[in-house]
Amino acid sequence: MTIHKHNGDEFELDAAIDHLAHWLPTQGPIKDFIHHNTLHAVQHFPFHDGVAVAAKVFGARSYLPIEDYQKRFEEGRITQTAIDWAIEQCGCHAAAAEQLQADLFTADPHSHLPPISLANDGIRNAWLNRLEMDLNALVHPVIFRLLSNFLDQGISRWALPKDGERFWDCVVRLTLNSLIPLYPFHQTQVREILNEGPDQVILHCLQQIVGDEQLYAQYLLEVLLAHPGWSGMVRIIETNPQSLLAPRDISLKQLLAVELACELAFVDKKKGRHFLRIDQLPELASIPLFDETHLTPEVPLKLRVWHEAMEWSLHSELLLALRDQPVAETVVKAPDVQAIFCIDDRECSLRRYLEEVNPNIETFGAPGFFGIDFLYQGLDDVYPVAQCPVVVKPRHLITESATQPRPEKRDPRQDLSKMHFSAHSLARGWIYTQTLGVAYAARLAWSVFKPATKLPGIRTLSEVDVHGHLHLLRENDEPNEEGYLLGFSLAEMAEKVGGQLRSIGLVKNFARLVVAVAHGSSSVNNPHFAAYDCGACAGKPGAPNARAFAWMANQEGVRAILREQGIDIPDSTCFAAAMHNTSRDEMVFFDQQSLDKPTHERLHGFQHAAQKALQRNARERCRWFELGPQTPDNESAHRHVLERAASIFEPRPEYNHSNNLYCIVGRRSLTRHLFMDRRAFLQSYDPNIDHDGSILARVLSAAIPVCGGINLEYLFSRIDNSVYGAGTKLPHNVIGLLGVANGVEGDLRTGLPSQMIEVHEPARLLLVVEQRLEVVDQALAKLGPLLEWLENDWVRFAACDPRTRALNLYRRQGWQAIELVKDRVAPVSSRSEKIIVGQTKTIPVHQFVGRHL
Amino acid sequence: MSVLLLACVFIPLLGFTLIFFSDGGERKVAMISLWMTRVNGVAVIGLLSMWAASGFNSFEYQWFQLYQHGDYQFPILFYLDRVGAAYLFCVWAIFSIIVKYCRVYMHRDAGYQRFFQTIFAFVFGLNIIVLSGSIDILFAGWEVVGISSFLLIAFYRHRWQPVRNALRAYTIYRFCDVGLLMGAWMSHLLFHESQHFSQMSGLFDNYVSNPVNYAALSLLSVLIILAASGKSAQFPFCFWLPRAMEGPTPSSAIFYGALSIHLGVFLLLRTMPIWSFHYLTRLIVLAIGLLTVMIASLSERTQSNIKGQVAYASIAQVGFMFIELALGLETLALLHFMSNAFLRCYQLLVSPSIVAHLLRVEGAVNSDFYIKDRQKLQFLPTSLRDVLPDVLQNTLYVFALQEGQLEILVRSLLWDPLKRLGAAMSRVSTWIKWLAAVALVIWLFIAVNNVSSVAGVYLSIPVSVLMVLVATSAFSQKHSPFKVWNSVAMSSFLAALAVWLMVPDAIYDELLFLSGIVPSWLLGVWVLSRLLKNERFAETSFRYRAFAQTRPSLSLLLFISFLGMVGFPITPAFLGEDLLLSHASGQHPWFALGITIAFVVNGIALARMFLRLSMGRAVRSEVREFRVG
Repeated sequence: MTIHKHNGDEFELDAAIDHLAHWLPTQGPIKDFIHHNTLHAVQHFPFHDGVAVAAKVFGARSYLPIEDYQKRFEEGRITQTAIDWAIEQCGCHAAAAEQLQADLFTADPHSHLPPISLANDGIRNAWLNRLEMDLNALVHPVIFRLLSNFLDQGISRWALPKDGERFWDCVVRLTLNSLIPLYPFHQTQVREILNEGPDQVILHCLQQIVGDEQLYAQYLLEVLLAHPGWSGMVRIIETNPQSLLAPRDISLKQLLAVELACELAFVDKKKGRHFLRIDQLPELASIPLFDETHLTPEVPLKLRVWHEAMEWSLHSELLLALRDQPVAETVVKAPDVQAIFCIDDRECSLRRYLEEVNPNIETFGAPGFFGIDFLYQGLDDVYPVAQCPVVVKPRHLITESATQPRPEKRDPRQDLSKMHFSAHSLARGWIYTQTLGVAYAARLAWSVFKPATKLPGIRTLSEVDVHGHLHLLRENDEPNEEGYLLGFSLAEMAEKVGGQLRSIGLVKNFARLVVAVAHGSSSVNNPHFAAYDCGACAGKPGAPNARAFAWMANQEGVRAILREQGIDIPDSTCFAAAMHNTSRDEMVFFDQQSLDKPTHERLHGFQHAAQKALQRNARERCRWFELGPQTPDNESAHRHVLERAASIFEPRPEYNHSNNLYCIVGRRSLTRHLFMDRRAFLQSYDPNIDHDGSILARVLSAAIPVCGGINLEYLFSRIDNSVYGAGTKLPHNVIGLLGVANGVEGDLRTGLPSQMIEVHEPARLLLVVEQRLEVVDQALAKLGPLLEWLENDWVRFAACDPRTRALNLYRRQGWQAIELVKDRVAPVSSRSEKIIVGQTKTIPVHQFVGRHL
Repeated sequence: MSVLLLACVFIPLLGFTLIFFSDGGERKVAMISLWMTRVNGVAVIGLLSMWAASGFNSFEYQWFQLYQHGDYQFPILFYLDRVGAAYLFCVWAIFSIIVKYCRVYMHRDAGYQRFFQTIFAFVFGLNIIVLSGSIDILFAGWEVVGISSFLLIAFYRHRWQPVRNALRAYTIYRFCDVGLLMGAWMSHLLFHESQHFSQMSGLFDNYVSNPVNYAALSLLSVLIILAASGKSAQFPFCFWLPRAMEGPTPSSAIFYGALSIHLGVFLLLRTMPIWSFHYLTRLIVLAIGLLTVMIASLSERTQSNIKGQVAYASIAQVGFMFIELALGLETLALLHFMSNAFLRCYQLLVSPSIVAHLLRVEGAVNSDFYIKDRQKLQFLPTSLRDVLPDVLQNTLYVFALQEGQLEILVRSLLWDPLKRLGAAMSRVSTWIKWLAAVALVIWLFIAVNNVSSVAGVYLSIPVSVLMVLVATSAFSQKHSPFKVWNSVAMSSFLAALAVWLMVPDAIYDELLFLSGIVPSWLLGVWVLSRLLKNERFAETSFRYRAFAQTRPSLSLLLFISFLGMVGFPITPAFLGEDLLLSHASGQHPWFALGITIAFVVNGIALARMFLRLSMGRAVRSEVREFRVG
């Protein structure tokens, strides 16, 4: 995507809108929260250039304040070596480098503030300044009300659109066919043009307001960027109507038409027909334009160096440890239990504890949809949801059916304990308030003073009864009316299971019990709950995928096909499914009735180990919770996380992916002896069975967008929380089940709320692959467009040789050998508990020595 | 008992002071607030149980006489009865819950200290109102609540939306304060020294036979009703409440869900003897209640955001309370208040759960959940679609969508005329202003020389007109904060001058008034000149300048001088305002109108200026570094 050229050729509305849409955020309705690179619009630039260009469009900060970096230097978290490295990377000559080195330590309180930008200092704002009108404050409430009522998915009692009606038609209907005028569209000048359709209205308004065709596109962009949240949402719904449960017909063009008409009406009301147009602005020459001149990246050099130095310091901590890891020997003895976890960084510490508790457990990591993509509709679900990464379009529908007859459930709207959520008629509202209101005094006091004790009727995720049976095996090949296949055939199952096992390198040495552990998170009073669930399942709990995986892998027919392909799962091996609740640190096990007796016993052993590991994990998480107990007592720590997940006043049930930094693709032996402070996405991968890089290419094509997306969303939300992030969640208001906004008439907020990112260290992801360079090169050649992430340094990419542990960093111009300081080694310790004691910030990677593993 | 009562009032103030002077550390602030709520709880429970032990008798306590001059008295009076007791208990209960809630909820928020400070100030104001013994004291509390409300709505001050909505709420508050300010003055006029709430009910036994006061009493009732409906977001002021939901959720819960919104009901309960005295005013209250219930319940149906929906539900219930009061069902209204307060507070606190609730709980039942049912997600419910013709359907929807047109109505009735007048004033050329000033001096000269005994009175007419005009020109001035500031000061001086012309021997009271205004004015001028030294304000008068972020201490000083100028009860100007009113209008009632208009308009003008200067987000003016190749 290039910058819009607007010299010479005539203005084409559709092309311009398509073009501008690239600059809008792409965050869908809040029910499925999907992490993505916030600055995807500039991903074709190298990282720093892209960030600088985005800052000049959105008016955002690009780096942390300089004193933050200086403070980290004093604390020793940025090393001088890294500063030297970073200066070297920016390629300036010796004298300049010396000057730069000296400049780094001077105070400069303003350098991180946002630059002059289109969103804040463009032609529209200059014009409004001239007119002395607070047009945003007039127009936005009107437009937001119309949009939110039009798109609403179930909060308001009366919906706005008629069936299948377009947004534009809806507004025109309310304006032209109502006894009370729709404010302010009844202004004569606007009323006259409404019948001409959105295209003509936009052009007419632009001509009235802007005048000069060269500036049309920029004006439209500035209009859209004045409320990026709603513009982005409209674009998402326009391009992907399925993202809403109740589909709505809307487009950016309709939005722009309504908004421009509204603007014109207000201006007309205040200034009459003749007012200063934008092309008549006396200061036009000094206003930044939406062109190459303004959008040339200007990177603040000092901050760039500081930022890279911080990242390199952090990255070196891992690289140092990896350099010294012993080269793995081949293992002959199968472990007792093998457990496959999600790649998620929150499982990093749990896996470590599990292996500490019982060294005979081997763990693997893979994206938490376990390679099986489908739409899932559980017993209690109204609509099916996709259970796979967003890039995958599932073709199969899996439904759940009850194994035993279920008791009739009450309608919650008749349930008095939920009456505060329901709609009432006038009289009933009065009576309820009069009678039940006082009871809420008790309820309120109870939930504030005794949060952990459960109130009747509040279900949490781990309590969801495991009732049903997944309908996985397809009986006939007829797709249903929506075009989905109902279940998988045996061959498809074998393909999915085999692919998954091969990519994690589990093709021999099967233990008697293999557990697939999905994850989800339970929290209360949290509209962002989907952002807490499994990213690889498009913001859903991964339980159905784990259950499907275990069921498929237990099928004799599937195993027979796999055996032909060279994956021999012994008959004694049994697969089971579980789910880790990351906020409560609890684990539930599914479908236990289908397991045989010896497996049951082994599963009990595993559950026991998991229980211990979960408590230790809870304690490690507690070190981030300033108000939590800082005790060595695992049980009280565990009680605390339970309470936290059930408190209505707790905006941080967990810290999610905060501080995610590394992604390691390789065998567990490479990372098993490392303490990585819950900061690593761990993907299992066996370099020995991947000769042409095809497995690696598949692994990377999921890992880069998922982990990189999470990482960059956290990074940008942390760097500028009010532009790229959602701001603090304390004043958020849920709008139409679409998203959150500040207050009643605010713009939708995209990105992450400050409570999710406040402890995050905003550094780019370091992705390390355990593989020889020539195989990695082969894999990269198969990556296609994803290579942009690596070429432009949106993700740092390194390879670690499986035999020599030699480290190389990927650069656009070729591999660069990583030279680490010879005599420095990663700190060592014997147990995780010793490392975390008293620590409240991020901890460098440690190596374990003297453990009996 | 009186000690406990004073404790109930002043413990929140103590909490406020302690938090203000603490180092701002989160743990310390939390500890102070937690302990203060406990101590407050002891005082409240103690007071209420002693009151109960004394047989639930109404209890009045006069602390001391703040000011006495001739037959004018300003006693510090407190009063506790059934209504006050119910409110006092609810305030304490909800406040303690909110403090506990916010201990964790506000964790790590940059404004942690600021937040607790403000809610303590709020509760201080509330307790003053609840325990006040006369309209004067009540008015002091009313102002404290208004300002803390304003501060909490604009809590996230780097964004313009909260700031604007804070101004909107403040404007309505300020406007409705006219009701209370003039009410206070009229109660002086009508009841002289016996304006005690405790004596009010007894008072009217004699008044029945006194028809002279009938008109005055009606006017007083209307003023009180105006004040009550503004604070409680009743017709025609419903629209500000949902828009005030800009602060952290618990602050919205305590202010607009639970407590602040019910203050209008409290005021009506307190002054019941005055306005229930005859049917006309009762009918007005009933009509306000009915209209509000109708509009609010329609508006609620088209609210697509959860907080707006709760806000309108709450407004509708308060409307019911007004109806109950008009029908004389005091006890029912009191019960209704308590239920509604707790329910709405809870609803707002758990409002973020609505997503999970609708998608996971309601969606989980095999019911006719409306996301499943396409019919129900269409324009208006089927019942209406089948009955009404298209045009009426659209009309009904637009009416509900625009929340009963109330904002448009209020804007065109109150706001626009002021703006037009002010704009006209600003257009007046300089030499006319000079001419007016010269004329004024000549008039003054005449007055001083005592040409005629009534000259002073007649001369005060143009002076007070000028006062109003200067105030409106401050209101419409956008380009220079100095001009706004000086105009407001000028209009205050003119007010003092006009009173002096009318009542020459009130010079001491005027000095009291000016002793509040002049220091605030000078402080403000100094702060403004420091703040705007390197700014070319007029060029970009529309930018929010974010001085609260970049120059926090100067910004705080500006705020203090702003409070002084608007007659907030921290300077003698608050008392002085009351005195001026009572002096002047004691003899010339028309004057009250002018001075109150000036009072309202000045407040709004200053608040606007303060917001433009202090709020907003800081930006860098240029990229100073260079690009790398």
